[in-house]
Amino acid sequence: MLSWEFPPRIVGGIAAHVYDLSRALAQTDLDVHVITLEFPGAKGYEEIDGVHVHRVDSYNYPSPDFASWTFMMNLNLQAKGIELIRSLKGSIDIVHAHDWLVATAAVGLKHLFRIPLLATIHSTEYGRRNGLHTEYQTMIHQTESWLTHEAWRVICCSGYMASQVSWAFGLPRQNIEVIPNGVDLEKFKANLDREDFRKKFADPSEKLILFVGRLVYEKGASVLIEAFPEVLSNFDAKLVCVGEGYMKDVLISRAHQLGIAHKIYFTGFLDDLTLKLLYRVADVCVVPSLYEPFGIVALEAMAAGTPVVATGAGGLSEIVEHDKTGVRAYLNDPDSLAWGILRVLSDRKYAERLAQNACKKVVEVYSWRRIADGTKSVYERILSEYEKGSWKPVSIR
Amino acid sequence: MILTWEFPPKIVGELALYVSRVAAQLVRKNLDLYVVAHDDSRTGLEQRQDGLKVFRVANPVKTHISVLTWDLTLAAEFERASSDIIYSTAKTVSLIDAHEWLCVIPAIALKKAFDIPFVYSVHSIEDQRSRGASSPFNLAITNIERHGCDEAERVLVKSTEMRDELKIRYGVSPNKIDVVQPSSDTWIDDIVKVYEKAIRSPLQDFWRLVEA
Repeated sequence: MLSWEFPPRIVGGIAAHVYDLSRALAQTDLDVHVITLEFPGAKGYEEIDGVHVHRVDSYNYPSPDFASWTFMMNLNLQAKGIELIRSLKGSIDIVHAHDWLVATAAVGLKHLFRIPLLATIHSTEYGRRNGLHTEYQTMIHQTESWLTHEAWRVICCSGYMASQVSWAFGLPRQNIEVIPNGVDLEKFKANLDREDFRKKFADPSEKLILFVGRLVYEKGASVLIEAFPEVLSNFDAKLVCVGEGYMKDVLISRAHQLGIAHKIYFTGFLDDLTLKLLYRVADVCVVPSLYEPFGIVALEAMAAGTPVVATGAGGLSEIVEHDKTGVRAYLNDPDSLAWGILRVLSDRKYAERLAQNACKKVVEVYSWRRIADGTKSVYERILSEYEKGSWKPVSIR
Repeated sequence: MILTWEFPPKIVGELALYVSRVAAQLVRKNLDLYVVAHDDSRTGLEQRQDGLKVFRVANPVKTHISVLTWDLTLAAEFERASSDIIYSTAKTVSLIDAHEWLCVIPAIALKKAFDIPFVYSVHSIEDQRSRGASSPFNLAITNIERHGCDEAERVLVKSTEMRDELKIRYGVSPNKIDVVQPSSDTWIDDIVKVYEKAIRSPLQDFWRLVEA
């Protein structure tokens, strides 16, 4: 597997995904190697729960821009890939690339060794930017497209993303597999002094409403803040916003304008354990996204046994079923969002039923074991097709 | 195998005509030569004429913000086309001649993947082209050129001035650099000698030992 981030180097969601997926795959009979970038204090090579993790120099020279840096650090990822494939004497069966950030290394390795390539597309430039507005964005979009066309198969985390990838890149739908992201239920079972922990975020008299996500336009935090006065007119509550982003100052300013700033707590980034516990003590978790390839926050709240109110943006519509595993509000609609939150807060039995159904769905559909099995079956299908073809290397010296 | 980003009919500077001349002379000497060159728009993917085999690559990413990003995505396509040639010839390619920094990246990848030695033909360096500019963009290209000098078995230049530049700028040992002036009567024979030197490099001796 090639990934530009892997714990402890965590930039976005790919790190956690590759970490959990690779460990789950290693629990099967697969030999998994992850090539990723260095991080201060992390070892150049280590084995983590059966996964061989190789960290390479991340090109620590000044770069003109992020994309140029990305392509330059790919040279180091590819060099390590060549070294690894040769040292294992051709026993690497599949190269699995995560997003465009490793495209040039992955495509190069595919052709140098004639190893089938699988690509997971976590999100698209088109989706992230709500269109393509600059040459820079178009270049990244075309790199993503190139990667998907070079790949034997493409994995997307939701049917929504599969449709977007098919449409945006002109990729045949049958080349795309939908395998969701997963969640590790064990991570939500740490010991907890509920009242003591909860006091750090809200008064005992306040309902605790949780938002987790980057404070950027597409995550919809601004819609939630517009909805919050209506919630406060019915319940004493505290809105806890976890995350950072370019909209933070705008959101704080708007909260002051609305006279509700004292009822909102912007925590910034939180460590993983604190966040998992926070999910458990929240009365409701709100996911007001306007664009969402998958919706991992909703899934984590469901795993924690917390009722979810979410929009139907992107992959969220496949996770949150209205009145069954959560409440669905209209997109970009503060009134609808407030209605959903009040629906959960005002009917305890209803909220408990949602949480129980949601937890059951997480176990049945979103465990990493199931996701690893699905991924492994994609590997096997690719290899079966590969074996039947003539595109093979001459034996490696 | 020659890697070049310009080759007739794509002519940007002097490189295209120079490489074309080298290729024609090498074929005349009965060397089995493959040229992998950028731009298939006017030629199609493959040309075979008078013993010369030219394979063309197109950039898989059409829109770019700089020649640096352009080169870094094109490199993967050079690797694909070159690997296809290497596999189709049962890995009998014995040397790669990479012209300019633009072809250094695929040359290094092919060397590491297949143990094929390479000659880095340096026609100019970033410091000269950019008149000493030291922006991150220039620095990235400089790093590629330095990396090429480090990884190449031999570095081929056309003048003693360039040899001295490479020594000063990139710390390349003069022993690793061959100067072949295109005006010389023995010009093409001298290039072939450089190729032979590269093929006899320690890397190749190592693999001959392993195979023995």
